[in-house]
Amino acid sequence: MASAAAASLSTICTSFATHCSISHHNPKTPFSHSTFFPFSRSHSLSLSFQPTLSPRLPLPPKSSDTAEALSEPQAPPSDPQSATQLVQSPPLQPPSWEPGLFAVVMVGGRQYIVHPGRWITVQRLKGAKANDKIALHRVLLVGTDTSCYIGRPVVTNAVVYATVEEQGLDDKVIVFKYKKKKKYRRTIGHRQPNTRIRINSIMGYENYPKVTMDDIKDQEDRDS
Amino acid sequence: MTRIKRGYIAGKRRRKIRLFTSSFRGAHSRLTRTITQQKIKALVSANRDRDRKKRGFRSLWIHRINAIIGKNKKKQYNRYSNLLYNIYKGQLLLNRKIVAQMGILKGNCLRMIANEIIT
Repeated sequence: MASAAAASLSTICTSFATHCSISHHNPKTPFSHSTFFPFSRSHSLSLSFQPTLSPRLPLPPKSSDTAEALSEPQAPPSDPQSATQLVQSPPLQPPSWEPGLFAVVMVGGRQYIVHPGRWITVQRLKGAKANDKIALHRVLLVGTDTSCYIGRPVVTNAVVYATVEEQGLDDKVIVFKYKKKKKYRRTIGHRQPNTRIRINSIMGYENYPKVTMDDIKDQEDRDS
Repeated sequence: MTRIKRGYIAGKRRRKIRLFTSSFRGAHSRLTRTITQQKIKALVSANRDRDRKKRGFRSLWIHRINAIIGKNKKKQYNRYSNLLYNIYKGQLLLNRKIVAQMGILKGNCLRMIANEIIT
């Protein structure tokens, strides 16, 4: 890996094209969703949000705690709600992951900071339909409040699971080509196709060597 | 030849242009001939600046990383150039946007990365 650094880096930087899509049809149970703010670069966001309440299927091959923790919240909605309770969705426990968990994922040639429960817009994933499950493997960094798993270049075995929500188009951009005094003008409208995916969970990073704030404190004590 | 009045053909075309320019300042949104010119200039600028935007953001990220790195570390390696050099040496793939955003939103994480990487 170290010997083929330059070559491997260039190949890794090429566009990402693998995703596994298991298309299931989710029965849409009416949970009340809090609004999620997409990540936008260069603007400082307020990070207060509620974890996702969207229904999820237990993932068959992966034995993960989050899948089992989800099976309990699925039970209460089936109880008959009285007509007087309007939008009182049953209180779902947020799936248990570490506080402040995030990952840096590379999709479509671009890198995103990703939190479980939020949605992001990425370049169009070909062949993905709504409600497809997707696994993103190029995870460059996983972090929590206290620790950080730095991928060199990738955190091995880390996967980010997401669901395709919508295949749409960006806002229209008018491409106007103009040469002055030469009577040349062309007007082209362009809408870039994109895909909106909702991040379900970040898994598989536990066995990777991690760095914690304690290491920094120890080193600073040693230095000063 | 039958006589043809021009009617509102030109007016229709100019109405669309006027709508585009409706928020411009002064004569640039009122006078017809000026409106046509201003729409062209606006669209040309938009085109050119879509590419400039990418450069501008990269420059912003670099400045931000430089500021954050310079603040945190007490050692001599408190510069953007050192951090990037060590990122490439350590074979990380994080780009400047992510590093800058992490410096703002997740300061601890960036400190951990910088500590880990900078020898």
